[in-house]
Amino acid sequence: MGKPNRGELVQGTLDMLVLKTLARGPMHGWGIAQSIQQISEDVLRVEEGSLYPALHRMELDGLIDAEWGQSDNKRRAKFYRLTGRGRIALADETDHWQLLARAIARVMETA
Amino acid sequence: MNKFAKRLRALWHRRQLDRDLADEMAFHLEMNRRHGAAARFGNVTAFQETCRDLWAFTALEAWWQDVRFALRTLRGSPLVTSTAIVALALGIGANTTVFTIVGSALRFDMAVDHIDRIVAIHPGAGLANTAPDAPAPIDFLNLRSQVRTVENLAAYRFSFVNVSDRHALPERCWRVQMTASGWAMVRPKPQLGREFGPEDERSNATPAVILSHRLWERRYGDDPAIVGKYIRIDDVDHMVVGVMPAGEQFPEDTDLWTPVTLNDLGRPDFLRSLLIFGRLANGTTLSAAQSEIDGVARRAIAQKVDGPVVNVRPFLEMIGIYDARAMLYAMLFAVAFVLLIVCADVANLMLGRAAARVREISIRIAIGAGRARIVRQLLVESVLLSAAGGIAGWLVALAGLHWFDNLSAQGRRPSWIHFAMDARGFLYLAGISVAAGILFGLAPALQLAKVDVNGAIKDGGRGAEGPRGRKLAGLLVGFQMALCVILLAASGLMIHSTVKLYNAPLSFEPANVLTMRVDLPETKYSDRDSVRRFYDRLKSDLAHLPGVSSVSLASHLPMAGWREFRGEVEGTPGKPPVMGELDGLTVDAAYFPALDVRLRQGRVFDENGQSQVVVNERFAAMFWGGGNPVGKRLRIAGRDGPQPWLTVIGVAADIQQDRVRPLGNAPLIYLPYNQDPQASVYVIARTAIPPAHLVESFRRTVQSLDENLPAQDVLPLADHIAQQRLNVTSFGKLFSIFAAIALVLAWVGLYAVVAHAVSRRTQEIGIRMAVGGTRKDIFGLVVKQGMRQVLGGFAAGLPVAMLVTRGLSHGLVGVSPSDPATYAGVATVLGIAGLLGCAIPARRAIHVDPLAALRHE
Repeated sequence: MGKPNRGELVQGTLDMLVLKTLARGPMHGWGIAQSIQQISEDVLRVEEGSLYPALHRMELDGLIDAEWGQSDNKRRAKFYRLTGRGRIALADETDHWQLLARAIARVMETA
Repeated sequence: MNKFAKRLRALWHRRQLDRDLADEMAFHLEMNRRHGAAARFGNVTAFQETCRDLWAFTALEAWWQDVRFALRTLRGSPLVTSTAIVALALGIGANTTVFTIVGSALRFDMAVDHIDRIVAIHPGAGLANTAPDAPAPIDFLNLRSQVRTVENLAAYRFSFVNVSDRHALPERCWRVQMTASGWAMVRPKPQLGREFGPEDERSNATPAVILSHRLWERRYGDDPAIVGKYIRIDDVDHMVVGVMPAGEQFPEDTDLWTPVTLNDLGRPDFLRSLLIFGRLANGTTLSAAQSEIDGVARRAIAQKVDGPVVNVRPFLEMIGIYDARAMLYAMLFAVAFVLLIVCADVANLMLGRAAARVREISIRIAIGAGRARIVRQLLVESVLLSAAGGIAGWLVALAGLHWFDNLSAQGRRPSWIHFAMDARGFLYLAGISVAAGILFGLAPALQLAKVDVNGAIKDGGRGAEGPRGRKLAGLLVGFQMALCVILLAASGLMIHSTVKLYNAPLSFEPANVLTMRVDLPETKYSDRDSVRRFYDRLKSDLAHLPGVSSVSLASHLPMAGWREFRGEVEGTPGKPPVMGELDGLTVDAAYFPALDVRLRQGRVFDENGQSQVVVNERFAAMFWGGGNPVGKRLRIAGRDGPQPWLTVIGVAADIQQDRVRPLGNAPLIYLPYNQDPQASVYVIARTAIPPAHLVESFRRTVQSLDENLPAQDVLPLADHIAQQRLNVTSFGKLFSIFAAIALVLAWVGLYAVVAHAVSRRTQEIGIRMAVGGTRKDIFGLVVKQGMRQVLGGFAAGLPVAMLVTRGLSHGLVGVSPSDPATYAGVATVLGIAGLLGCAIPARRAIHVDPLAALRHE
């Protein structure tokens, strides 16, 4: 097991972060990555090599929808948007995450 | 839209997907650049690939890619492709045809469940020496009450009856009298009315009849109210109690069924003609049943007998095709060989093309294609090729089955056999198509995948064929030749049989003879005199028809069996009398001149024939050796002891009567008809005009004498003989077709390999000629090399052929499976074909221009 790299996402949380980000409104891939990075104050960095496959997988699974539109600088860009199923998935994952986080916190405090 | 539909859509808009992915990545890079973010973006192509794979049916698409590529390759060499498809169509089509034929013929669906456990009970050979007046050993009722090893003991007996009523002209029908216990085993139930039960077996029961679907349809026009009506059978009214459904029936070919009454079962002559059968009880064996039943029968006759009194045998053994099983399997083998030859041919074609593709494959391997992927790609190609061959082969099989169905319908074919394509045949076709594709594709594919990439690319793909490829091609040709030897031997034997059959001296003249069967019902013609009177009248009426030269009567037509008697041949000083089975025919005096049978010695009977007998040559040789048989005596055992002695007055040439072994001449006696008038006989008339023209007049003449009497099987003797020979000739035809296909294909294979070798060695030949090699030397060199494969194949195939053809012995007539003449013929044919296959390319080799050849590089 290698030394965990700071800023590397915990396995399986990328989907949740993307969904959460999209909950605020449609956004293109670059925007999603930027948004996660800024809000986490540069702690979480999203690798493009993981982001795009994740986006396409969730699109195929119907959690998000994609639409081609124009970006702020008038370029053709693919905007992703949360679907109904995506919203439900986000709620589930949020619950699950909170449960997990509280549990880890409790373990760490009592030690 | 679900995932599958999205992927399907992406598949359709593949270009757009690629463009979108590229755009998305480009946009990302652009944004990075614009915002001065760290340019950490990795391998864009790899991301794109990962994303694209998400949208694709990855595995499926790879296959699809292979298929498209294969189609392109196959289209690229149309000559090779179409040659391969034609060869495969022949091979696969022939195999499917034969598989279906064999499957249908051996289905034995005879409307009785577990037909393989049904046994038949016959009188045994040991009985031959018992007194003729001994009680019948096989008393059905006695057996039924005692036997435990066979369940549901039943019996039937067939006979011809005349059905005459107002519905249609009188006709002869095949009537089966079967016990109610037999009906219990028959699977189909009547579609109208009921089947027979024990109440029909009472001696005072109303005569009842069940109609076959065929008869009901043909004669009674599907009358739905037929049950309860009366029809006339042999001049006795019978009430119709049921109608059987269409399809399989037991026993096959029955027109109508009547019950067996207890009264019938008391008559010894009835018992003698009864066929007893039943189902082997669970857990018992044939030999246990044999010993139990033999014991019961032995107690019944209370007499010392050598050998078994009764024989218990599987019912299926009584069916003609059951005996021909070996023949059918041999055919299946033979045709499989044809397919193997086809595969070898196509493998050779592919090997030839593989040599030309070494460079292409090497480049693909060099840029990263796995060898497994290459093998898969090539196998997809060959399976695609064989699938195309399979589709074409399906058409071949349909045509082949149609042809064979017509051919076999001319002969006697059990009703449960239909030769038509069915689901099983189709599965078989699909199976062998794929298997053949893998078989002929695997060797070239493995060979190509093992190619030396560096060498091949540098070499321009020329030297890469390698000695192993050539050796493989040579082996394949040798293998083809070996298979060819086997097929040629088999078909050669069959053809030889057919030739023997047609060239065998018939000892009679079949042209211009019309034959007809007449059967007088016992009920109306009860005594000998009325029978004799009827036939005398019929003979004289027929003889007066214009175009008829003479008319005679016989109990059997040539090649159609004989009557069996028990009798005694008088001993001579120094030789004891012989008692036992005597086979013979009952014929009238006109029989010998009508058939133009040559007489070897003595004379034929006079009109009355009292105390006279004629024997055939075989009989004379068997009993009196070289001596003069005329004047010797023999007698027949009658129901009430021996009859008076008969004196041999003449010896007739051997006429073939045996229906099983078409060239077998059995020892026969000819008894004068007038001494023992038979109610059922064949009329044999020599005609001055083509016999087919007289068919109608013959029918009308019979009707004019008795309007209730049908004339049966009115047909020229030549047609009857052709029918009897059909088995041998149709198998012969099939084998010959296979062998012809095999020979042509093997020849093509040989030619291709030798021609390829010549073209590869053009340069070498040029050098040889430049340094003084003569054309003769070159010609000899090429031919010698090609013939090595032919000879090797012959040597390998010969012993196998000798083994395999033993399976044919059932279908061979007058030819032994190891007939030297046939094998000499096979060697000749193969030798000529081999020389031709080598000589044509060799001729091209000697016309090589040394200068041009050397510049060939």
